[in-house]
Amino acid sequence: MMTDKMERTVMSFSDEVTSRHGGETLTACYQCGTCASSCPVAKLDSSFNPREIIKLSLLGEKEEVLSGNAIWLCCSCFNCQERCPQKVEIADLIYALRNIALEAGHSPSIYSDFASALMNEGRVVSISKFVEKKREEYGLPPLRPVGMEALNKILSATGFTKPEKTEATK
Amino acid sequence: MEHPKIGVFLSDCGKQLSEILDFDAMTNFVKNVPNVTLIARDSEFWRGKGLQTIIDSIKDKKINRVVVAETLPKLSEVHIAETVENAGLNPYLVEVIDLKDHCAWPHRATPKEATEKAKAMLLAAIERAKLLEPIEKLEFPALKSALIIGGGIAGMQAAVDLTDLGFQVNLIEKQPFLGGLAARAGHFFPTDDCAICIQSPSSDVKTITHTSRKCVYRSGFSELPNLKILTNSRVVAVEGVPGNYTVTIEKKPRYVDESKCIACDKCTTVCPVEVPDEYNAKLKTRKAIYMNVPNVHPPVYVIDESVCRFHDCAKCVKVCPTNAIDLDQKPEQVTLNVGSVVVATGFREFDSSAIKEYHYDDYPDVITNLELARMIDGFGPTGGAIIRPSDGKPAKKIVFIQCVGSRDRRYNPYCSGICCMISLKHASLIKSAVPDADVSICYIDIRTTGREHEYYYERAREMGIKFVKGRPTEIYADTETGKLIVDVEDALLKRFLDLEADLVVLAPAMIPAEGTKELAEILGLELEADGFFKEYNAKLRPTETKLRGIFLCGGTTFPKDAPTASLHAHSAAMKTAKFLTSGKIVKDQRTAIVNEDYCGDCEFCPVTCPYGAISLEPTTEDHFVARVNDLLCEGCGVCVGTCPLNAIELRHSRPNQMWAQMNALMSINGTSKPLVLAICCQECGHTAVDSSGMAGMQYPANVRVMKVPCAGIVRVDQILGAFKAGAQAVMVVGCKSDGCHYEVGSDKAEKKIDLAKVLLKEYGIEPERLEMFKMVYIEGDKFAEAAQMMTERATKLGPLKLMVTEGGEI
Repeated sequence: MMTDKMERTVMSFSDEVTSRHGGETLTACYQCGTCASSCPVAKLDSSFNPREIIKLSLLGEKEEVLSGNAIWLCCSCFNCQERCPQKVEIADLIYALRNIALEAGHSPSIYSDFASALMNEGRVVSISKFVEKKREEYGLPPLRPVGMEALNKILSATGFTKPEKTEATK
Repeated sequence: MEHPKIGVFLSDCGKQLSEILDFDAMTNFVKNVPNVTLIARDSEFWRGKGLQTIIDSIKDKKINRVVVAETLPKLSEVHIAETVENAGLNPYLVEVIDLKDHCAWPHRATPKEATEKAKAMLLAAIERAKLLEPIEKLEFPALKSALIIGGGIAGMQAAVDLTDLGFQVNLIEKQPFLGGLAARAGHFFPTDDCAICIQSPSSDVKTITHTSRKCVYRSGFSELPNLKILTNSRVVAVEGVPGNYTVTIEKKPRYVDESKCIACDKCTTVCPVEVPDEYNAKLKTRKAIYMNVPNVHPPVYVIDESVCRFHDCAKCVKVCPTNAIDLDQKPEQVTLNVGSVVVATGFREFDSSAIKEYHYDDYPDVITNLELARMIDGFGPTGGAIIRPSDGKPAKKIVFIQCVGSRDRRYNPYCSGICCMISLKHASLIKSAVPDADVSICYIDIRTTGREHEYYYERAREMGIKFVKGRPTEIYADTETGKLIVDVEDALLKRFLDLEADLVVLAPAMIPAEGTKELAEILGLELEADGFFKEYNAKLRPTETKLRGIFLCGGTTFPKDAPTASLHAHSAAMKTAKFLTSGKIVKDQRTAIVNEDYCGDCEFCPVTCPYGAISLEPTTEDHFVARVNDLLCEGCGVCVGTCPLNAIELRHSRPNQMWAQMNALMSINGTSKPLVLAICCQECGHTAVDSSGMAGMQYPANVRVMKVPCAGIVRVDQILGAFKAGAQAVMVVGCKSDGCHYEVGSDKAEKKIDLAKVLLKEYGIEPERLEMFKMVYIEGDKFAEAAQMMTERATKLGPLKLMVTEGGEI
């Protein structure tokens, strides 16, 4: 039938990225490098280069993109996104890649540490003696304990407490 | 109307068709159709003996309607119509159908069913022929004169061509001097010669060698007797019709009499007002009375009224040896009568200051290619020296940045196409003049697609110009040295470079000339999304517009280099000449006509007509009616499909003719399948049916094809009527949206189909029985597939149940 011709059976990695929230603009990239020269991180750490991450994603180098450290180095300054002549939403795209990586079981341990801390203590950063003392010095009231019952409801309603490794556990 | 006497001529295409179709059965059928007075059979009717039979039948048997079943109707009907006319019958009383590609070939496997379809096709042609009316030929006068708007390279070339051909040409230029953008460019690629060089007129200008090209000012161009040049002028109104426009032009005062000025320069010496010279990239100043450069045309000074002190000073008046200066000159309105208009308004540089990170407004040493061109030009402000505008010192380190605002979805998504070549040309010119200059070009992709263009890239590499593949993120001034730094990643090296520069040259996008939008409104033309003028058809009619009589050339349709602008200008001149050369416009009256008694002055049709052919005119004090201008009407019928009161018809596709055709097509089935009516536009839709037949693609014979001028003519009541006539499914086949031969017809049809689907639902008819298809001629396979699909759909849905109301109507 003439209506069904375009149906695709295999989804490429770039399709996977563009179907994600934030990843839609991937294919607009023509590798001009404005993002790279705009990037404060890339200038300090050669393992991170937004142009390269986009190129690898376009070429379908899924493993290399997801398992490496690069996508976690973006500092979300949005300089690249502001200046990209093709309106590629580069910072958003990197978030999309991080989400895919997380689902595939690739994430630096600090992210799961944050998640556990949130679920157990209600805070990403635990209250330390240092913080308490500083607050006292500035005349700030002590931090109040988090309402764990309410928080847990929110976390489970939003799916935060579900095991993440959807792809890896398959 | 006289009593129709119809002659039916059946061609079996050299016995090919009779192997499939039963010609005896068809003949017997046609014989009994009322008004058919003659049937002839032969192997062909569009040339030779067959054609003679038609002539004889008209002359001797006195038939007054001709129905021919012939192969290749789009070709054969031309011969037949011409012959019919010579035999004394109006050529529009002819109906030609194609029994081969529309019947025998696609239904080869089911000859009996094909024969029944052939009968229906013949009946439809006969019924339509009965109702056809003679169509008259109309003649409109065309003045042998043209207005060319824009005195740049394209406008000047078109002017030379048209004056050479004997037309009266009026060339108007908004600026005080001719030459446009090209004249500012200094040098041209790929000829490496001067930008103010044009083709010399070949007509009778004394002392000018004809075969040569020359600078504008010595080409003799301005001395052509049938060329009138108006500078400092702009179009404020265009009225009238193709062939006879009245153009109102506003000519700003020059304050210097063109017939007296001898360009002696005394006035500028005494003028006390000095302002930055915009034309020369503000690299120098000029006086209030000035010329851009010494070699301009006209060689006459002009006063900048925004800065001149006029009678408070008047020093120039006192020194002028010829009394050429007149400070009391007033703006003039000039009225011209011309047969056609050529738009050659060109393009300009995008304002680079929009891209803040390049600091075009902040750093004087960041300039554009056009400003650099002024620097390179020997007549320019620096006499050809490449300097830093900030301190006037020689610039040794020069960085070019490509694609500034072009290929940029935030500003202009398109590639301007010529900027790579401009930068390559400039970089090489700098390198030739200053061999130790350090020149880099930051690019995204280098595009050198013209003849000899790649050589510029080669030569630049040989000369040692550096290429950096990367678009810089920023230009900043070093806080200590004050030097400009271009921050770029060389993507090939994956390395960040901080390129130091004395001078940064931006290659901005090229965008439509100032005032393009206003001019489009004055002329009634459309612009594309990119802001440039829309041509009638980019492939085949690149210099024409949807309005006969108005032509485009040069950068009006897109940025062009000089050779392409030149080609375009010659083409526009040729089309203009062709349009005006006979002094008249001949066209047939296959146009729309309004029944003024029904017209409800609702303004739908004047707004919908893509050609501006319909206007509302007053009849009584409070009533207006739509009237069609036969010259402007192209006969598409989009107005017909739009009129809510059915008050407008096409003379050659009247509703009664269409109903008769439709009812006839649906009156015979002869197949076991449900009848499907395919209403096809005569452009791509109907020819897609041809091509499916030519290629022998198969679809069932229950699919019946009805030709209409444009899908836009189809009315909702006709679609409902098709179901009433017996169709179990209806398909409307039109051109692709951007390929509609009548601009908007296909899209209008699609909207109407959506509306009709809603109505069908109300009537209890499944909306899937109706579908719109858009295709081009070569997509015969798509038509065959669609026909098959609609047949299957109708079969699946089962017989149509019509709700019958008390009056017996659906």
